[in-house]
Amino acid sequence: MNRAVTHDGEAAVAARGPGHVASRPISATVSDRSEPLADNPDIFKVRGLNVHYGEFHAVKGVSMAIRQNEITALIGPSGCGKSTVLRCFNRMNDLIEIARVSGSIEYHGVDLYGRDVDPVQVRRHIGMVFQKPNPFPKSIYDNVAFGPKIAGFDGNLDQLVEESLTRAALWDEVKDKLNGSAYALSGGQQQRLCIARAIATSPDVVLMDEPASSLDPIATLRIEELMQDLKEDYSIVIVTHNMQQAARVSDRTAFFTVDTEQTGQRTGVLVEYDVTSRIFTNPREQRTEDYITGRFG
Amino acid sequence: MTELRSHFYEQLQELERNLVLMGEHGVQMLTDAIGALIVSDVDAARVVMDADDVVDDLYLQVHHEWLEVMARQTPVAIDLRLMSVILHVNSHLERIADLAVTIAKITRKSEGLPHDPTIISHLQEMGDIVTSMVRAVMEAFTARDLDAALALPEMDRPVNRLNRRMVRKVAALSADPELLEWGVRMIVVARTLERAGDNAVDIAEQIAFLLTGEFREFTDASHHD
Amino acid sequence: MGARIERVDTAAVVRGSLQGRRFNPGGLAFEASLLLMLLVSLAVLVTLLADIIGGAIPVFRDRGLDFVTSGITLDSDTAGVWTGLLGSVAITLVVAVVAFPMGIGAAIYLEEYAPGNSMTRFIQTNIRNLAGVPSIVYGLLGLAVFVRLVDLIGLGGSGSTAGRNVVSAGITLAVLVLPIVIITASEALRAVPDAIREAGFGVGATRWEVVRHHVLPAAAPGVLTGTVLALARAFGETAPLLVIGVATGFFSAGSASVFDRLTGTYTALPVVVLSWSRQADPAFKEHLAPAAILVLLVVLFVANAAAITLRNKYDRDW
Repeated sequence: MNRAVTHDGEAAVAARGPGHVASRPISATVSDRSEPLADNPDIFKVRGLNVHYGEFHAVKGVSMAIRQNEITALIGPSGCGKSTVLRCFNRMNDLIEIARVSGSIEYHGVDLYGRDVDPVQVRRHIGMVFQKPNPFPKSIYDNVAFGPKIAGFDGNLDQLVEESLTRAALWDEVKDKLNGSAYALSGGQQQRLCIARAIATSPDVVLMDEPASSLDPIATLRIEELMQDLKEDYSIVIVTHNMQQAARVSDRTAFFTVDTEQTGQRTGVLVEYDVTSRIFTNPREQRTEDYITGRFG
Repeated sequence: MTELRSHFYEQLQELERNLVLMGEHGVQMLTDAIGALIVSDVDAARVVMDADDVVDDLYLQVHHEWLEVMARQTPVAIDLRLMSVILHVNSHLERIADLAVTIAKITRKSEGLPHDPTIISHLQEMGDIVTSMVRAVMEAFTARDLDAALALPEMDRPVNRLNRRMVRKVAALSADPELLEWGVRMIVVARTLERAGDNAVDIAEQIAFLLTGEFREFTDASHHD
Repeated sequence: MGARIERVDTAAVVRGSLQGRRFNPGGLAFEASLLLMLLVSLAVLVTLLADIIGGAIPVFRDRGLDFVTSGITLDSDTAGVWTGLLGSVAITLVVAVVAFPMGIGAAIYLEEYAPGNSMTRFIQTNIRNLAGVPSIVYGLLGLAVFVRLVDLIGLGGSGSTAGRNVVSAGITLAVLVLPIVIITASEALRAVPDAIREAGFGVGATRWEVVRHHVLPAAAPGVLTGTVLALARAFGETAPLLVIGVATGFFSAGSASVFDRLTGTYTALPVVVLSWSRQADPAFKEHLAPAAILVLLVVLFVANAAAITLRNKYDRDW
């Protein structure tokens, strides 16, 4: 991923890294850092979302707005419903028979759970990457080509596959073995393949459910770097149990926790949702601070 | 391999750039403050005092960004040392600017008083050395030059010497009360310059810590040398 | 204060327990008895095989492959298994055509589409029960229903044995092996990890697209293996055929047309074995029957080997 360097001085400092000796002093122009969280429009508006699995009330009363071209992280302890909420965005919960979703989620103003909304179409616009890389037991090429093909893509499939793999920072590593099995790739490569597969259908949202939790630290950082690059063109919502990852990578963070009712029922609720730097330097809610400082009981 | 954590390193570079800017302001302010003092130009002194706002803004900006980087990037090893150094250097550079303001204030307060050319020239000399020390230490910082940083205490010696001699020199002035008043104020100026020099040496200590991982006091203020 | 706790020298204890031989009589005796059981079973099989091969060898020595290519005659010097082989192959083909689509289709529905409620579980339990029903019951079913059905739809052939042909036999045996096909196909489908399905749904595939492009291809080796085994089972079935009118004695198709032969009298290889073993002529009982059994065993062996080869060839590590 090459990003053009704009200032000369920046180039000198960039070339060096923090611990190396430079030959030139840097020019002290203060780079023009506009507030990165300027008013991006909302892409999802969630109102009063509740999810039940049969009798079990998994998620209660979630309301929030996901902004376009941002990385939004959902964090919280196990059982707080963050994955459940994530899977509401692309109607993956439909696949669970006893799941019942109430409340509303608007996507570009359209009610996702409206009567005439086809979940299959939804999933072409809202892609998903899962916790454990799950490429199809097919070739690398076929993995990426499958989604567009069944969506009726009739353009240059080879080009689309190459673009998707390039965007997922995988092309150089696989361009000579596109017909090889996807299973021959390493874990980190497989996950990037899954990202390429997800973006091949030209979605505008990519949902990621703990995408790096089964990867080693370097592979994890590569995925994080990739996410920063992808957010130029996609809106990304990521569930992660790694708080440091959420802190590093996201623009906004939503903290969920488990409320225990008198009946003993444990239900997930949204506690705080704010700009990430705020959450990690001065959160508003005590529960948020208890969780991220590790004082959570 | 693509660079990892590029956003983090961009933020570190941003913090450094701001420090360099503060250093440049500090050097300019010191130069201007001494210049104003020499020719007793109160308007020029006023300019120096106003320039402190810029430095204070930068100080707050660095501090704010520093907190965010610390919270979000969990730096370790050399990155952590750099963060520690940035925090200290931020403080020292803000202090240096404040010291320049002190000198400017003294210029205003000394308006109309007579002066002694010898003392003036010594203060000029001190000012030149201190200004060059600040410049040198910031260059050492951006270049990560350990040897340059280790050279700072040596540059500080003449400043300390000149400072120590100020009291006797002023005491030796004629009994003219106005001249003496001026002389006492000049002792404060010398002391202020000496403190600016110390701040520059402190920055050099931070550079050495960054590069070696060990913190050592370069000079012990209680020793004569 | 109570007893002192003695300080144990852990290192010494460990050293003691790691070194030195262990004599374990109980374990050895158990192992020996298991081995004995294995040997006895093998001995029985070997004896059986030896008996069969012993009886069969003269036939092949004297006549070679002529035995396989000759039809049924009353003469022990010329009788062969060809008619029986053809009949069995024809029946097995009918079984394949009938049982596979139905069985695999049912398995796909049960595994991929049916809701996970008690009705589905009820159906699955009963399919399992059907797999254990004695095969003769299917024979009675075949006699009562399929023989007449085949006749009604015009495939019954002519004469007093209307409806008693490879078609009705095939359908009957198809119903017999149907539970096996469903069960093995279900298991093969179930073995496909859910992650694959999720991935398919995730890129916007319909349920059928997920099944067709990902689940079925991945389950294919298991499904194939199961179906080959089901076919092998059908090939060896005797009792139901006896009920629904397989010919046990001599018959000749003569110069009848293919259609007539398919819709007329037939026999199957296991039935040939049965009828030869009951002949008065000792040559049939002692030599020709074992030879026919040998042919039957060879066919079954090849079928099972094919199943295993197929499974190994396409089996993947998920």
